[in-house]
Amino acid sequence: MVEFIQKESLLERIYWLIRLRWIAIVGVITTILFVKNALLIPLVTAPLYGVISFLGIYNLIFLLYLNRLKEKKKPNLVLIANRFANIQISLDLLSLTLLIHFSGGIENPFIFYFIFHMIIASILLSRRASYLQATFATLLLISMVGLEYFGILSHHYLEGFSLRGLYTNKLYIAGVSFVFVSTLYLAVYMASSISEKLRLREQSLKQANLLLEEKDRIKSEYVLRVSHDIKEHLSAIQSCLEPVEDGITGELNLKQKDLIQRAVERTGKLLFFVKALLEISRIKLSKEIEMDYFSLKKTIADATNFIDTRAKNKIISIEFKIDPGLDLIWGAQIYIEETIANLLANCVKYTLKNGKISLEAKDRGNSVLIKVTDTGIGIPKEEIPKVFDEFYRASNAKELERDGTGLGLAIAKQVVERHKGKIWVESEEGKGSTFYILLPKSK
Amino acid sequence: MAKILIIDDDPDIVEAIKVVLESKGYQVSSARSGKEGLNKIKLDKPHLIILDIMMETNDKGFEVARILKKDKNYEDIPILMLTAIKQKTGLDFKKEAGDEDWLPVDDYVEKPLAANELISKVEKLLEKK
Repeated sequence: MVEFIQKESLLERIYWLIRLRWIAIVGVITTILFVKNALLIPLVTAPLYGVISFLGIYNLIFLLYLNRLKEKKKPNLVLIANRFANIQISLDLLSLTLLIHFSGGIENPFIFYFIFHMIIASILLSRRASYLQATFATLLLISMVGLEYFGILSHHYLEGFSLRGLYTNKLYIAGVSFVFVSTLYLAVYMASSISEKLRLREQSLKQANLLLEEKDRIKSEYVLRVSHDIKEHLSAIQSCLEPVEDGITGELNLKQKDLIQRAVERTGKLLFFVKALLEISRIKLSKEIEMDYFSLKKTIADATNFIDTRAKNKIISIEFKIDPGLDLIWGAQIYIEETIANLLANCVKYTLKNGKISLEAKDRGNSVLIKVTDTGIGIPKEEIPKVFDEFYRASNAKELERDGTGLGLAIAKQVVERHKGKIWVESEEGKGSTFYILLPKSK
Repeated sequence: MAKILIIDDDPDIVEAIKVVLESKGYQVSSARSGKEGLNKIKLDKPHLIILDIMMETNDKGFEVARILKKDKNYEDIPILMLTAIKQKTGLDFKKEAGDEDWLPVDDYVEKPLAANELISKVEKLLEKK
């Protein structure tokens, strides 16, 4: 998990660096045009544009490489990404040195833009690597200044901006170089101190998060064990009450029958609740759910069977609209059937007599959208974000129906998320609700 | 009247089933484990077996069913499986023989038991025979 987050954030930051580089390219071109045409300082533009093209080409290559890297999901991705970031920053330093060389060398005040590279390095790389990059920048600058000073490289004079011959002035070179180098190292020191602290904090947050996840798992295991035990006992209690209620053990008088019926009903409710608890803990704890291709049409039909009588008793009509081409999808059929049945059961439960329920399944290319709408009591606006929480029941739902586990939608959410799908609801209190499930069609 | 053997480690469930079946006149005996069940079958062959899944091990019931259906002396005894796991197991009771996952039981009832359902399933399985 920690590994995964590290990869994600490092890759994300490299994407950010690539975006920054596009911006820098536009910035450099604009500056060249402005300096040449507005400030009328003569610039030798050909080599400058050459460097910019070089910058653009390697940025494009990096982008393509990064996209490929992301898809491949190599195990040593962090290492590769780190090396990759190092190479990019070194190349950037080289490009900037070349740009500066072709536009005045040490006389060009843009020389201090190296600071930005130092800050970027401190964010992306380790402290040691950042200092190495600062050293590399120092070497590049000293080489450039030295080579220009000794005339091995030609000096490009910024006419009208700096004094002629400044690049051979020893005192000037020494002064600028000292300030330049100390600025680089100080920038690395400060930026890496801050980013180190942030990194540490990020790490401890991740650790805390892992710990919480582990605790949650332990809790689920505990719930699973306890509810399993309770269920066994409840099953036995109900199995013993049933024959008595049915009069198999002899005729009961009215009072006996009434009390037994109450007992059966209550154990039934408790059993239902415990089963829901078991189910949600089981889904949470299971690492893998067995999946296969199954018929969505048949699954919807089966799910509907489950609520048919209840709907008829309340004179609620059910309407279906399933896209004709839609059938086989990938998933755990039993779970999807149960989820759809669950949503439909909710619709029946919270819709008053003579209401309407509609179920639509729409083909959305790679996914399928299942839409379940009712003309029920709806969900109060401020409670909508909470309805998928475990044990949460909307206030008006509790008012209408005393019984309910508050687990149905939580289970549905778990199931849909295990299928890499999405579930959400739109609702207006008093008018009805629409639940949406978006499921990927294939693996 | 037909002899029925209940193999289940939960004495209360066994008692409940006994009451229901005896009310219909069946001759009911019981075993508390898969092992005891197999012994009882050998001593006195029943006409029908009601078999729980989770006993000594989580799938002892499956094991017992497989042993019985492979044995020529006992393959004709119908087995009614007791299960608390409704469809979640994805068990398909109509699968062809020879399939590795094939479960040689003839029908199943869910826990908690509904008396009427139990009686009608038992009657159906005995009739078939």
